[in-house]
Amino acid sequence: MDRIVQGMHSGEVLKRVREAKGYFITNTARDLSQSDFKNRILLHTDLLAADPRERSGYFSLEITGGASVHVDILRKQVDPFLKLKLLREKMPNTMFQTLCRGVNLFGYRPYPQNVIRLTVREFAKYVDVWRVFDFLNHVPNMQAVFEEVQKAGKLLEPSICFSTGPQHTDEYYVKKVGEILEVTGQDISLCIKNHGGLGTPKRIGELVRAIKDKFPELVVHYHGHNTDGNDIGRITAAVVNGANIVDAADHAFTGYFGPPPILSVIQTLKDYGYTAVGVDESAVIETSEVLRGQRQYYEYFESQFKGFLPTVQIHKLPGGAMGSSFEQAVKGKFLNKMPEILHEELPKVQQELGNWWSVTPGSQILWTTAVSNVQGGERYGNCSGDLKNLLLGKYGPFPFYCPEDWIYEKAFGPDWRKIVEEQGGIEKIEDIDIDKERRVLQDRLGYEPTEQQLVTYLQHPNDAVEFFKFEEKFGKVYVLPPSIVFKRGGFALGETLQFVDHNGKDHIIEIGPAQKNEDGATSIYLNVDHYQRVFSMAAETKDEGVAREVAMSKKEIQDLAKVGDVRAPFGANVCEISVAEGQDVAAGDKLVVLEAMKMQTPLLAAVAGKVARIHAKVGDALKPGGKIIELACEVEPLQCAKK
Amino acid sequence: MVANRGEIALRIIRAIQELGHVAVAIYETPDSAALHIRVADEAIWIGDGPRRDYLNIAKIIKAAKDHGVDCIHPGYGFLAENPDFAKACEEAGIIFIGPPHDVISKLGDKVTARKIMAEAGIPMVPGTENLSQGEAGLREALEFAARYKYPVMLKATAGGGGRGIRLIETDAQLKEQLPMARSEAKAAFNNDNVYLEKVVLKPKHVEVQIIADNFGNTVHLGTRDCSIQRRNQKLVEIAPSMIKDKKLLDQICDTAVRAAKASNYFNAGTVEFLVDKDYNFYFMEINTRVQVEHTVTEMVSGIDIVRTQIKLALGRKLSFAQDDIRLRGHAIEMRINAEDPQNDFMPEGGKTVSVYRSPGGYGVRLDGFVYQGFTIPEVYDSLLVKLTVFGFTWNETVDRLRRCLRNYTITGPKTTIPFYLNLVNDPDFQRGDFDTSYLETHPDLFNYKDDPSEVNKLARLIAEIHFKKENKYAI
Repeated sequence: MDRIVQGMHSGEVLKRVREAKGYFITNTARDLSQSDFKNRILLHTDLLAADPRERSGYFSLEITGGASVHVDILRKQVDPFLKLKLLREKMPNTMFQTLCRGVNLFGYRPYPQNVIRLTVREFAKYVDVWRVFDFLNHVPNMQAVFEEVQKAGKLLEPSICFSTGPQHTDEYYVKKVGEILEVTGQDISLCIKNHGGLGTPKRIGELVRAIKDKFPELVVHYHGHNTDGNDIGRITAAVVNGANIVDAADHAFTGYFGPPPILSVIQTLKDYGYTAVGVDESAVIETSEVLRGQRQYYEYFESQFKGFLPTVQIHKLPGGAMGSSFEQAVKGKFLNKMPEILHEELPKVQQELGNWWSVTPGSQILWTTAVSNVQGGERYGNCSGDLKNLLLGKYGPFPFYCPEDWIYEKAFGPDWRKIVEEQGGIEKIEDIDIDKERRVLQDRLGYEPTEQQLVTYLQHPNDAVEFFKFEEKFGKVYVLPPSIVFKRGGFALGETLQFVDHNGKDHIIEIGPAQKNEDGATSIYLNVDHYQRVFSMAAETKDEGVAREVAMSKKEIQDLAKVGDVRAPFGANVCEISVAEGQDVAAGDKLVVLEAMKMQTPLLAAVAGKVARIHAKVGDALKPGGKIIELACEVEPLQCAKK
Repeated sequence: MVANRGEIALRIIRAIQELGHVAVAIYETPDSAALHIRVADEAIWIGDGPRRDYLNIAKIIKAAKDHGVDCIHPGYGFLAENPDFAKACEEAGIIFIGPPHDVISKLGDKVTARKIMAEAGIPMVPGTENLSQGEAGLREALEFAARYKYPVMLKATAGGGGRGIRLIETDAQLKEQLPMARSEAKAAFNNDNVYLEKVVLKPKHVEVQIIADNFGNTVHLGTRDCSIQRRNQKLVEIAPSMIKDKKLLDQICDTAVRAAKASNYFNAGTVEFLVDKDYNFYFMEINTRVQVEHTVTEMVSGIDIVRTQIKLALGRKLSFAQDDIRLRGHAIEMRINAEDPQNDFMPEGGKTVSVYRSPGGYGVRLDGFVYQGFTIPEVYDSLLVKLTVFGFTWNETVDRLRRCLRNYTITGPKTTIPFYLNLVNDPDFQRGDFDTSYLETHPDLFNYKDDPSEVNKLARLIAEIHFKKENKYAI
């Protein structure tokens, strides 16, 4: 009778939470996947765990949102809506929860109001609990989502992002909660979003107590990360001080930066006299027994730094960004500089930029700036476009203090005051013509898209189209287990792979020989359901246009830029080419916009000249030193003469 | 010696070898990897071709003489209905397996053939004699069209196999097309004679297999229906005809025997008829060779036609009389071609057969010449294999055919298989209800997806993961 089931009215859900003797648990499977496995845990695995998870009796299963919507289409090739539909079929009673970045939805930049509303409406068909946050705790940034969630009759869970430092007082946070309640009314659940797993149990206990003292009827949901290994302590303190719901995850997959094990939470709090309402411990254990066998297939995506990282209290990176940060460090070959970046530069940048909350997209800005400061030689020497937007106040006002003038000067040059005056402030984003977007998508796909396809497209247009085309070519690949999807080094000759397709049909594929042909292509023989099929694989060309590896130092790249040979200063994707061949440019003019680590950075002309040749095109993935543009300029002979 | 290539060369070689004789194959350079030369006891290279050496009478006769060849079987196509070749064989003292050259010559000339049949009282589609040259010819044509009404067929006298035929629907078209037809006929057959025939709308194409020995015995092996054609080229052939009126079929068969006798026919041949909607039948022509579709008749009659051809050519008497012949069940043959039906049956020559898996089992016969790894020469026809199935009832035969088509795997070239799969699922075909307009009236047959199977898509990803040693889409 205590159990909360999917389909209940949000008012009824809150009533049961308030009246319950004990606390509730949210299984944060999505956050675990994002924090410790680079978001790669497949639907296949979640479906395996669906039955025991359904029986476990959680308050909710956090299974979508955050970066997962993007990764679903980009790296897992599963439709984020279909994923929820299939899970719902197997888990009819469990509420599904999402994490929504307010105005930034599931992306990194603000979306127009009408896109936000359409997106929330479509996802609300499957999602019962909506956790919403803003990295500046700027309530207006969340308002459109608040309204749509409440309109859809779903449970709204606004968040206060939590961090530490002299500004982060109980007084500040209690006031912030008041601001939220003014907008939403009392029928919400409030999340204390401790995405870094910061502070001590004592600190969290005090905060929960302060909020509860002021708003005794408010349902409080504590969310933390176990990066320092101490989140059980914080959870315990939260519950003891009145938190109603807490976040944890299945122990078979817990590791470094995600939430702590559910079972440990239950065991600890039991000894304090608190019961996990509705939870069936044996089903919790059973879930992990099912999952345990799958973990081996995800090893590649685990953190490059093994073990807990108590230095999170210094660098404050959110658990959800840890994995991708290490991944970038490996890909960018600066893993050895991580201690310097994490423990020296990042805390410094945080203080300099205003000591707000390190969470998406703010965490990416802090991280990219710190990496660029360490890697680029000159601090704030190459400010990303997103950092500039932050400085201009486009994301919202700084909550505590503004960065110092010299940072503005680094970013915008000597005329920075004028620029801030002219361009500063939150930008009003105009609604887009959604029908027009639908027609564009239809043109790109060659058929009429569904409403859900349109919503996916509006989040990440190019990646969505690529995903839809991928499905046309490769089918519904979410049916494949991780042992196939993440196989490295090729399969063994004669190995048999078995799976069930989305129509429920069993298939067996036997690996046959690979034969290299005269033209360099390779024929891969597979016995597909006992029929031999051959797949021709073109030879991989080492020299793939602009993507080729160029070993070049930072200095060389900068020197070349001064003579008009514009190259990528770091590994990046080209997201805009701002000039045309034959165009005259002045020094400081924007040539291209590069995107790396989800941050956009304009590349400016180091010298004046005429655009002689454009080597790169939008969408190209460039290695450091990859050619972008050649400027014909008069500096070259001068430089030569000097030598 | 087999003066041919492809599946028919293999078919004949098998019969020769079964009879205990030595089979000699010939080949042009593009056929160097062909199966018929590997199965034959001897193989003689006759030139670089393409095609012209298979058509070179002097070269072939010389090769035959050099190798002490006793008999030549011409197969179908190439020199099979060229009276000069039969004559050259006779002059070289080699037995030509087929009718004598003068019979080929008479029956090959459509107008002469019509004259013979008219004298024998064989029913015929109204038609003209060879049209006179110039204005007179056009006048004759216009008069004929006025009398029998359009549409009419303008045909090259020396044409055959669906070539040299054009449909005329107005006087203006007739005036325009007549000189063109003449010059085309001249170029294609070295004979500019043309004539007109009344068009029978939506006819069934029914033909009769006949066999005659040199001792005055002529028998028939029943009917075949070859109505399913595209541009007058047969795709699917069945035996016997699905016409329910058995008396009519008997009448057609008896007429065929009479037609054969009237032309002093010897050896195996085919008498072709058109049957109109009111079940009137008209003589079309006699093909003086073994037909591609002879297999269906073999399946329902139990008689090995090619083996019989050889024995008759060697001077033996027919070992069976008409009363001994019993037709049982139904047979369907489909020509599996390397063609893209969705692209107007564009040939897919030049492609390599990377996977070849054929069906088997009860009632299944394959007459093909491709194998895994074989590159289809671009310079010859696109027939890969004839799939012939036999069944006791029509439904059983169609079911077996469907099973065989599903079990066929040919990768590399596109084939007619997916098109045939649609065909066997078509209710009209399943009822045995089709005439020569079948393809035009069933455009849905061309609606199929190239690679419809979900598992094959997934297999493609697995192949990539295997080949690239990681899943590029997931990393």
